[in-house]
Amino acid sequence: MNLIVFTPAGVRSAIGRMAALVTRELVALGCQVTVVRTEAQHLLSTDMHDFGTTVLAWDDEASVLALVRSADACVYQIGNSFEFHEVGVRWLADFPGLVCLHDFFLGHLFYGWAQTHRVQAESVLQNWYGKEMAERFFSFSDSESFIEGTREFMPMTEWICSRAEGVITHSHWGCDRVLNSCSGPVRVVPLPYDAPGAINSPFDRRSTDGGTLKLLTIGHANPNKRIASVIQAIGLSPLLRQRIKYRLVGAIEPDAMESLSALAAHLGVNLLISGEVDDSELNRAVNESDVISCIRWPVLEAASASAIEAMLYGKVVIVTDTGFYADIPESCAIKINHSNEIAELQSSLISLLEDQSRVVSLGAAAQNWAAKTFTAKNYAEQVMEIILDVSRSAPAIKAINYFCQTLRQWSYRDNPVVMAELTHKLHIFEQNN
Amino acid sequence: MKVLIVNNMAPFVWGGAEELAAHLQKNLVIAGHEAEILRIPFQWEPAERIPSQMLMVRAFELWNVDHVIALKFPAYLIRHPKKTLWLLHQYRQAYDLYDAGQTNLPPGQEGLELKYLIRQADQESFAESRNIFTNSEVTRQRLLKYNGFDAAVLLPPVNDPELFPGGDHGDYIFAGGRVNGMKRQHLLLEGLAKADARVKLLIAGPPDRPDDAARLQAAVERLGLADRVRLDLRFLPRQVYAEYVNRSAAVAYLPYDEDSLGYVAMEAATAAKALITTADSGGILGLVKHGETGWVAQPKAKDLAVVMGAVFENSARTKSYGQNARALWESMKIKWPETVETLLR
Amino acid sequence: MKVALCSSLVPFINGGYRNIIEWLKSLLEEHGHQVEIVYLPEVDSPELLFQQMMAFRWVDLEMADRIICFRPEAHLIPHRHKILWFIHHIRAFYDLWDSPYRGFPDDLKHRGIRDALHRVDGAGLREAKAIFANSRVVSDRLKHFNQIDSEILYPPVFEPERFHCAGFNDEVVCISRVEHHKRQHLLVEALQHTRTPVRLRLSGVSAGADYPRDLSQRISELRLTDRVSLDNRWISEEEKVAQLAHCLAAAYLPLDEDSYGYPSVEASHASKPILTTSDSGGVLELVQDGMNGYITEPSPEALADAMDRLYLDRTKTEAMGISARDRLAELNISWSHVLQRLLA
Repeated sequence: MNLIVFTPAGVRSAIGRMAALVTRELVALGCQVTVVRTEAQHLLSTDMHDFGTTVLAWDDEASVLALVRSADACVYQIGNSFEFHEVGVRWLADFPGLVCLHDFFLGHLFYGWAQTHRVQAESVLQNWYGKEMAERFFSFSDSESFIEGTREFMPMTEWICSRAEGVITHSHWGCDRVLNSCSGPVRVVPLPYDAPGAINSPFDRRSTDGGTLKLLTIGHANPNKRIASVIQAIGLSPLLRQRIKYRLVGAIEPDAMESLSALAAHLGVNLLISGEVDDSELNRAVNESDVISCIRWPVLEAASASAIEAMLYGKVVIVTDTGFYADIPESCAIKINHSNEIAELQSSLISLLEDQSRVVSLGAAAQNWAAKTFTAKNYAEQVMEIILDVSRSAPAIKAINYFCQTLRQWSYRDNPVVMAELTHKLHIFEQNN
Repeated sequence: MKVLIVNNMAPFVWGGAEELAAHLQKNLVIAGHEAEILRIPFQWEPAERIPSQMLMVRAFELWNVDHVIALKFPAYLIRHPKKTLWLLHQYRQAYDLYDAGQTNLPPGQEGLELKYLIRQADQESFAESRNIFTNSEVTRQRLLKYNGFDAAVLLPPVNDPELFPGGDHGDYIFAGGRVNGMKRQHLLLEGLAKADARVKLLIAGPPDRPDDAARLQAAVERLGLADRVRLDLRFLPRQVYAEYVNRSAAVAYLPYDEDSLGYVAMEAATAAKALITTADSGGILGLVKHGETGWVAQPKAKDLAVVMGAVFENSARTKSYGQNARALWESMKIKWPETVETLLR
Repeated sequence: MKVALCSSLVPFINGGYRNIIEWLKSLLEEHGHQVEIVYLPEVDSPELLFQQMMAFRWVDLEMADRIICFRPEAHLIPHRHKILWFIHHIRAFYDLWDSPYRGFPDDLKHRGIRDALHRVDGAGLREAKAIFANSRVVSDRLKHFNQIDSEILYPPVFEPERFHCAGFNDEVVCISRVEHHKRQHLLVEALQHTRTPVRLRLSGVSAGADYPRDLSQRISELRLTDRVSLDNRWISEEEKVAQLAHCLAAAYLPLDEDSYGYPSVEASHASKPILTTSDSGGVLELVQDGMNGYITEPSPEALADAMDRLYLDRTKTEAMGISARDRLAELNISWSHVLQRLLA
């Protein structure tokens, strides 16, 4: 396959990092791949990830055009950042292709694009969200209220997905909007990661020290991470108070530090707050831990980098059974229902203590599964498969577009009875029959 | 040239348009072309189905065809760079019949939208056609009024004029053509009942349904006309039909508001027979000039009775009307070779 | 019953399927049915294929009690009682994919169209109440590409009772279009190797002038003008009947054709054996070597040998002619069988 991959390429870009991993695998699988860097002009000279193939800047338009015209397919890495993805949006409009959707929320990308496409933007908003919603979109006074006001009801996912011939998304979270707007195939493919910091295989782990379990929560200590619930769960059980050492690594506000410490002290929980640390200290903390708490509420992310990395490290992860985490097999993680958070946390920790071999086996299963799943090879293979799917759904979609265009020329106005009449004999064109 | 005639098909129904298409094909071949007929199944009930039928025709691809002659909606939506329309029918239920409340388009907004869709598609097809002809003045007027296109009238010729040399002035008035309520043969019977005892009538042609035949038979009985009327209700072999025309004193054809002249009238004129029709019959009035080529009566029994009597009152006058009818018809120069040439311009 | 016979067509091109449809119409009408033939245009261009296929889905023939579909993509027309008498796929996307006849590149886009077409065809085919194929070759392709089983229903010839046997002269006749892939040249080459005075009569039209001219030249070169007659023109049905009535045998050896071809069936009705070659394709479903004709290697020498055998062993030749006639019944090549199967 001859592919063009539109993506940010700079070392600052996590999407770029992932795209480089995947591109190298595509090449290893025998594809001919050319990368087109999509960052805004002033970022085009920054250092790049190593893609293992030719990388072109988007501003060499003639070359890009020639390549796109002779390619089998175009792949667009799309995320919320306007400065990284504006170019991708532009080329996607003229040359439909596969979209790898990194963010469900694309409000900022859309907002940036709308500055030069106001009329079109209003039409897009109205089409997907109705007149009332559309009027609200440009009415927010600051970034926070913009996010709050749009993320649930106007995430702009449909705007991009409706222009795609196919979409790869990275978890089942928010898939509805994708499925509703993309007329081609949609796949959920786990994001590729590598975990260079993981130091040992689970089989030669040192045994837990004296029956104590080291529990870790990573990242910015906000309420979303349910740290208080963890403390309470430990605090309410004498066994857990005795045997669990809970550590927080990551940025923390002074009042959070104060209240969480007070809570732990009051309940007799062994809590260590490390604050923000550098990468090597973080690696060490993860390696030394036994269990990592990834419980969240509400769940905002499409995929959780920390959970994936924890599993790649061979650690037991405790997660909230929703969103991305619901995709993790039962045998690879401990899943908690938010509605019964503290009780279930408590019982899971207790059962781990009672059978510490589970720490090893769960960690091993998690590592095994994560290593096989979140791989660039798997991702690349699925990219190739979905491109094949796209090629098979394209003929029927093209025909439908022809008829829609004809109807538009005839000033057709949407009529469900007529639509039913037109479509009900066309079910044989579905590719999954 | 390879000429494709494109027409609708109502499966298992064969009517005037099919006959016309067949004769057009025959005459194209006589003129030295290759000609085939494409008949496209068209289902317009329920009305919501119509858009699918329109899209179906629009998607057809023609290869190996030099020129297309299309006759009806939606057949004329077919795409071809050299497309001539010989408009027999638009979808009247989106036009004059819609305005008259006689449509299968649903009431309200839905129907309006379908009407609009049909009109937009029509405008596109008319604009992309090389030439548009209509088969009657009425159709021409309608096209001008609703779609703004000024077409020329191209009347379809009689298919076998040599069969209608005319002949002796017989003792009956001949009423030919399909038998149904719209053709109003029953009116002639009611007229006959009030007419002079001399007047005889021959009604011959295929009834659309058994009911249509039964109605006429019942009327004959009810009005006691068995000795003055002959009913030959079936599809007539061409020779039989021709003889009926050739031997008649005059020919009556009085449908309700028809678009075209009507073959019955054209064939009668070819045979130099005086014509009887009614004021609301539509296209035929192009050939029937009261007091010149025949009689135009009010669509009432007593008026028809007078006219029917007039046929036998003065046979010289009747014969001269017949001659005038023929002259008028011939002056219209409606012959197949010219028609073919015009269509392929 | 109201029956609609449906097929795609290319205007002004008279494919063999048109004959079958017209003949079937006459037959059905003779049996008291009402028949409508529905021909719809279709062009095999990859870019335009799917929109035409969708158009076929909107064809409404509910007025018919039954529809019988022939050439692709007519089999996509929906109907509560759809019968298929399948003639061939759009071959460029099927068995001719790996051949110079494909006509478009073997790239991702076209492979996608191909795969999608196979799927949709399969779904449309499966809507049918019964699927018949006009030869084993076609039936096998339906199975291989669409995983669909079909019953073989061989197309009979029109008014077969016209054909009869009036004796056996010295001529091997070949009545078919005179084209390179029909390989009349092989017969001409063969004649020079014969040892008996067997003669050859070639009749039929050609699309172009080159092939018949080359044939003619070759016949002169080989000094066979007194033993070969070449009639490059349309042969009337009466002439055909007469030729077959008197000939020694009929030859029909096209290169790898799907179906057996009318010439072989016509010869069988006239109780004459058929001479063909191992690479002729569908004819081999009809002919069995030594039973109702000879199947030889496609070489002039092998053909010559068979022609000599036909000439010399008249008893065998006549016997094979009778078997040829019987073979038709064996394979149910008859209109009564067709009617019975299609209207079941």
